[in-house]
Amino acid sequence: MSEPTILLVEDEAQIRRLVRAALAEEGYRVLECGTLKEGLAQLHAETMQLLILDLGLPDGDGIAFIRELRTQFSLPVLVLSARSAEGEKIRALDAGADDYLTKPYSSGELLARVRAQLRRAPQEGTAAETHFCFGDIEVDLAQRSVTRKGTAVRLTPIEYRLLCAMLAEPGKVLTYRHLLSAVWGKAFVESNHYLRIYVSHLRQKLEEDPAQPKHFLTETGVGYRFHP
Amino acid sequence: MKASFFFATPARSLPMRMLWVIAACSVATLLAWPWRELFDPANTAMLYVLAVAIVAARAGKGAAIATALLGSALLDFFFIYPHFTFTIGDAQHIVTLAVMLAVALIIGNLTLSLQREKEAALERERQSRALYQLASQLAGALTLEQVDELTRRFLQKTQACNGMLLMRQGENVLPVAGAQAPLSGKLYYAAQSALRQGAVQATVDEPMQWLFLPLHGSTYIRGVLALSATDTYLLDTERQPLFEAIAALLAASTERLHFVEVAQHAQLQMTDERLRSSILSALSHDIRTPLTVLYGMADTLAQSELPKALHEMADAMRQQTLRLNSMVSNLLDMAKLRAGDIKLNLEWQPVEEVIGASIKLLAPALAQHPVSVKLSPDIPLLRFDAVLMERVLCNLLENAAKYATPGSPIRIAVRTDKKFAHLSVSNDGSQFPPDRLENLFELFERGDSESNIPGVGLGLAICRSIVSAHGGSIHADNDDGACVIFTLPLGEPPVIEPEGESE
Repeated sequence: MSEPTILLVEDEAQIRRLVRAALAEEGYRVLECGTLKEGLAQLHAETMQLLILDLGLPDGDGIAFIRELRTQFSLPVLVLSARSAEGEKIRALDAGADDYLTKPYSSGELLARVRAQLRRAPQEGTAAETHFCFGDIEVDLAQRSVTRKGTAVRLTPIEYRLLCAMLAEPGKVLTYRHLLSAVWGKAFVESNHYLRIYVSHLRQKLEEDPAQPKHFLTETGVGYRFHP
Repeated sequence: MKASFFFATPARSLPMRMLWVIAACSVATLLAWPWRELFDPANTAMLYVLAVAIVAARAGKGAAIATALLGSALLDFFFIYPHFTFTIGDAQHIVTLAVMLAVALIIGNLTLSLQREKEAALERERQSRALYQLASQLAGALTLEQVDELTRRFLQKTQACNGMLLMRQGENVLPVAGAQAPLSGKLYYAAQSALRQGAVQATVDEPMQWLFLPLHGSTYIRGVLALSATDTYLLDTERQPLFEAIAALLAASTERLHFVEVAQHAQLQMTDERLRSSILSALSHDIRTPLTVLYGMADTLAQSELPKALHEMADAMRQQTLRLNSMVSNLLDMAKLRAGDIKLNLEWQPVEEVIGASIKLLAPALAQHPVSVKLSPDIPLLRFDAVLMERVLCNLLENAAKYATPGSPIRIAVRTDKKFAHLSVSNDGSQFPPDRLENLFELFERGDSESNIPGVGLGLAICRSIVSAHGGSIHADNDDGACVIFTLPLGEPPVIEPEGESE
């Protein structure tokens, strides 16, 4: 199997057609179905590289489905949501989804998200990458060094831990809860302002224009995303 | 003598009592007469004592004294030597007379007090039965009007006085029944003092006596019961416990009604809320799905190889779909905001973050305009709902992009004064009409109603709703191009302990 296989679970035939056309043009193999039940059967039948899931399916709660799915499968999940309620996005992400797209979206956006998820996926299980390069920043986790245009950047321990947590999952939306428990520990999951302050420190030190960041992106009301 | 003999209702009218006196004395005299030669007068006297005792029990103290006097006169006249004269020949007979009088007084008093106790017991029983009846009627009352009506009827029937239920309205008391004239002057003042001090107040407004009893609820005084009657008996201390018991009953039932109302209201609101959010989410789903399809198709067309004219058309289609989507979002948001209770997810955060996110979100619309962000140094964390604030900034930026001349810059600036942070979004395009700067933020209001720039005038109205929910204000001016400025209160941000040295 050379080209990645993507499973699309969406009940609107028109949207299915569009998404399939866009993905097929990129050379992906697309399987599709309209219900959660069929989706689960397909996942059991063969190995997929990505699941694109609509949250408003007629035969069940998409979020519960993701939670259930996570007990058996590790493939990345990209959620399509017609609702723009941040609460639902957060719940989907905390349940185990990797990213979301709010309707309406352009095929450009969709393909970008799909590419990012597929890029991430094979790294799981293999040795973690220790060297990162984005913009004019270089990070070497083995050396614990961060340089900007070749000059060392001094980060505090918390800033460094936050940077590592974000680098570990490029392209994925990281909820406040996830980042807080990864960097500060479980006791701090309600202290969103800590996280916001330290992200702003990272932007001051690593972004060209901290007010309009290119790498440490804000997902308003949900969390952050690291874009390499 | 059986106790019930004393409990029988005594003769009340004067002729009846006189009849008792005469009958008792006559019977005693007639009974003793045939034996006058056989018995000593001292023994005959015992018959008269019996007569006095019976009259005392049956006709009261006065009649008993009269019997004693008449009896001793008859005794003297008929049985004591010399017969048929009132001359008392023996000092012993004075003792007989004194004993008779004493018996009359003692038994008369005894009867009287027993009588009184009986009456009191009966009255108490009557009152508690009436109270019980009132309580069971009040338990079935569903509205304050019914409580008022029941109380008034009850007081009229059992206490022969007028009642009026006054409920608390803030710091005032108002009659429940609309038909009742509100109290005036000193009556109103007395009712107010009963409410404020929580103590019974009495006052006179000729010819009526008034009594005001506070209704003590579990948390506060719920109202006042006003009683009025022409008689002064309202002020009897004996009646106070009854009136207070009525007031307590009323307090309990008005409180019950209050909580029923609160519960019903909450239930209604919950159902309402559920209905509204399900309609909104259905709308949002059903409208966004075809929009997504349209947008996706237009997007695919715009990216494919097409003749120039067709390509432009596809691109315009895509733009219009996006605009339609933003209008739908605005409408849905407005519906949510208008519906009242916006649940703000207030968190302390740096303002530049939401500014950056808004600019990024609107990148396609802002493609033709360089955006500059100017923050005065040391802006503290602000407390706001990030999602809603992003909506405000996006609407303002979208507006600026719509009205700015192509290629001209859009400026965002943030500065603070002592109490507020001032955020402004300005552009160099057409100015706001100076005479309508205020109206701009009204619903469905547009700067230039004949403008060929699309929009329905929702954006700024939403901005105002969101900003005022945050305790800030919003206004427009033409000082620095067309400029919209809004404020957010500063507050006291949480302190974040500085960290140790770098690694």
